[in-house]
Parts: sequence; C-alpha cells; structure tokens
Amino acid sequence: MIEFRDVSFSYNHGKVLQGISFSARFSEKIAILGPSGEGKTTILRLILGLLRPDSGRILIDGTDITDLPERELREFRTKFTIVFQEGALFDSLSVQENVVFCLRERRGMPEAEIEARARELLRRVGIEEAIGLMPEELSGGMQRRAAIARSLCSCEPVMMLYDEPTTGLDPAAADNICRLINDLSSGEPPERKGIIIVTHDVAAAVKVAERFLYLRAGRVVFDGDLSALKGTEDPGLREFIKGILK
Amino acid sequence: MKLRELFAELQDFYVLSLNVLVGTFRRPYYVRETVEQMDYAGAGSFFIVFLVSLFIGMALSLQISTELSSLGLKMYTGKIVGISIIREIGPVAVALSYAGRVGSGMTSELGSMVLGHQVDMIRVFGMDPVKKLVTPRVVSSTLMLPLLTVIGDAVALAGGYYISVFASHQSGSFYWSQIIDALTFDNILAGLAKPFLFGFLTAAISCHMGLSARGGARGLRRATTSAVVLSTVTIIITDFMLTRVLFFFMEMPA
Repeated sequence: MIEFRDVSFSYNHGKVLQGISFSARFSEKIAILGPSGEGKTTILRLILGLLRPDSGRILIDGTDITDLPERELREFRTKFTIVFQEGALFDSLSVQENVVFCLRERRGMPEAEIEARARELLRRVGIEEAIGLMPEELSGGMQRRAAIARSLCSCEPVMMLYDEPTTGLDPAAADNICRLINDLSSGEPPERKGIIIVTHDVAAAVKVAERFLYLRAGRVVFDGDLSALKGTEDPGLREFIKGILK
Repeated sequence: MKLRELFAELQDFYVLSLNVLVGTFRRPYYVRETVEQMDYAGAGSFFIVFLVSLFIGMALSLQISTELSSLGLKMYTGKIVGISIIREIGPVAVALSYAGRVGSGMTSELGSMVLGHQVDMIRVFGMDPVKKLVTPRVVSSTLMLPLLTVIGDAVALAGGYYISVFASHQSGSFYWSQIIDALTFDNILAGLAKPFLFGFLTAAISCHMGLSARGGARGLRRATTSAVVLSTVTIIITDFMLTRVLFFFMEMPA
C-alpha cells in the first residue's frame, strides 16, 4: 500500500505539489492525469524515494519512507520498477545487456542463464530480434519495450510505474504499448502487477487503468473510476478528457 | 552564485569525495568498469599527452638553449629542461590536457545520464550511483594520470634532446647525462606525487559537476564548462601549494 499524506513539493521555480493525499494498493491500476508541468512525474519520483517532499509523509506498506536514509530506501525501491518517458536505456550497452543489467549486477548467475532470461523477456515484449542491437538503433516504441523488459528483469517488482509511456509514439505503437502494459498487469499474482501510469494521453490511460486521479494546480481534484470520470461536472476536467467523451 | 549556494556545493563535493574514498575499499568492487575507465582515461589519452609533451619539451629546450647560449652556458640546457619537466611542467601540462579531454568527457557522460534518467534507473535498481559510476572513474584517474605523466615526461625530454642536438648543436650524451643528474629522488618525488592528487581532483570535480547537471542541453554545457574551468584552476593552485609543501619537507630553499 502506498499512502501520500498531505505531501507538498517544490522545485527551484516554484511549488509543484500542494498538500496532496491519496492511497493506492499495490494491485491497483491507476492513471494519474493532468496537463504537463502539474507534478505527475514528481509523484512517481516521490514514491521511489528519488525526491524528498518539502512537507507531508509518504508511507509504503505502513513504513514512513519520507526521511529514510538512501541505503534503507533501496530496499523499498525493489518493490517498484519504473519505465521512464524516453526509456532511459544505457546507451553504451546493447539491448541484451540493458535488459539483464540488474541480473549481472547481482552476480553469481551463469552467463547462459542470463542470456536465456534476456531472450525470454524480449520475446515477452515482442522484440526478441533486437537482442544484439544498440539502443540508438531502436525506434521509440522498441526502446520503450526494451525498457519494459529491463524493468521486468529487476528485483521482482510488485508494482510498475510508467512515465508517459505513449508520448511521442504513433497511434499503432502507442496501442501496442498499452496492450503490453495490460498483458503484464493481468493474470494472477505474482505475475499480475499493479500499475501507476502518469500521462496526459487520456485515450491511453483508459485502456490500461481502472482508477483515475486528475491533478490541477498541484492538487488532486478528481479521484474515481472510469464511469465517474466520464460523468464529471468539472469543466476543466471535461475539457481535458473530451477525447473519450465523444 | 550566492555564498550559501557555494558552501552547499563545496559540501556536496566533499561528501562525494569522502564517499568515493570510503567506497573504494568496500564491496561491491566494480573491476570491469574501473578497467574500462582506465582504458578510456589512460590509453585513450596517450596521443594527446604525447603531442602536448613533445612540443612543450621542444619549445622549452629551444627557449633555454637560446638564453643560455648568450651566456655561454648552453651545455646546461639538459639540466634545466630536465628539472623543469620532471618537477613542474610535465605534471601540470599532462594534468591540464587530461582535464580537457577526460574531465570534460566524464562530466558530459554523467550529466547526460542524469538528464536521461539513467542515474535514476541505477538508484531504482537498488544500486549506489556513486559506487557504480564515480568510484571507478576516480580510481582509474588517480592511477592513470601518474602513468601518463611518466610517459609525458619521457616524451618531453626526448623532444628537448632533439632540439638540443639538431637545432642547438649540443652533445647528445652530455644532454642525457645532465638529465640523469636531474633524476634525483627529490625531483622524482616532487614530480610524481602531484599527478596522484591531480588525477583524484580532476575526476572528483568532473563527476560532481556531471551528477549536478540540471536543465537540458544548456545545463549540460554549463556543467562541462564549469568542470574544465574548476579542474584547471584547482590543478594550478594545488600545484603551487604542493610545491611549497614538498619544498618544506625536502628542506629546499625558496
């Protein structure tokens, strides 16, 4: 369970989050919506402990991680994995090396087993043929798929965080990514993983999420399911989701 | 920059340096990364060090032999070139070339990893980015710069020999005997102690600036420029301070 209690955060240029509170179970499929610059990605970084809030508390499984030292935070981070907007693949490593980065670091696993795991994960995300390529040789969609495969290879996360996974992709590639996210978050635990997707692409959000949070002026102004979202009376939110109201 | 920001920056730098020093002797050891960095920093810098040292040695020999010639003392060119290169000019010239090539490379590489969220990914995977990225760079730099300095000194002395013999028409064997006279323990210590510190400082400054990069391509440019400027100034100031300290301990008159 993730709990945000009255969390505020600011960058040098000003306040981004102003006392937001919400809680999420690890098995939930949540989309955080809002225009650019509203602090959506900041929420993901706060969950991972990559940023520390100015005020408020963040609890993971009941433990307050707000002031935990970096070394202790690492244990909590292994519950999650994240796919950043551009994939964040290591450009000096091949696709295979990227995917098994975490396994190699843990050492002790035979090389043949590592390679088999890389193949299996790349097959699962549909780009097995890219195993020997370098990240710059991949299209945007393939880079995201490789990043998802790498995330799956990390320390058996219970929840996957996606930062704008469809931004910059053509509709077909975006659709493929949504399908992949759904595949990975379906089934039974431990195969089924909860997700938090941060996006301003409402069409993509409704394909993968069951619960929606809408951010405006650093606050959560909507928290509900798809039918509540479609039935909202908030004119700003209605304008934002007009693409799915048609 | 405000005074408070300056002190915060200095504090971050000291904390990073301390973490690197402590981390060097703690598991996990990133041997493969360290060897890769040694190849990039050491073998990759050979050509620039060779060129810079060769022409510095030749220019120095030309200047000194011309001046000494007017006093009828040009046979001592080798001694002065030897002492200048071994004690002072060799370590500083090689360190400055190194900061320009390797230091700027470290900053831009780490900076782009910060901006591309790759450093965040390392943290998400439960690793320490200082241990994984900074320690191998600082260790390799601390080890490779002294080695490059020895090579640079040798090339500069050979350049000096070329000018002394073929332009200034001096005796080659006398030039080398003067150089061998200059290779005293004190001179070698003075010349080789410096590059260890220069290598550590250059890499620590460059990595710190890289990890502090913010604000897209412009921020990366600012970080890289700052790293090279700071490394250059630090090398020159540290050189003076180390020289004073070494002179004090070797009881050499100022």
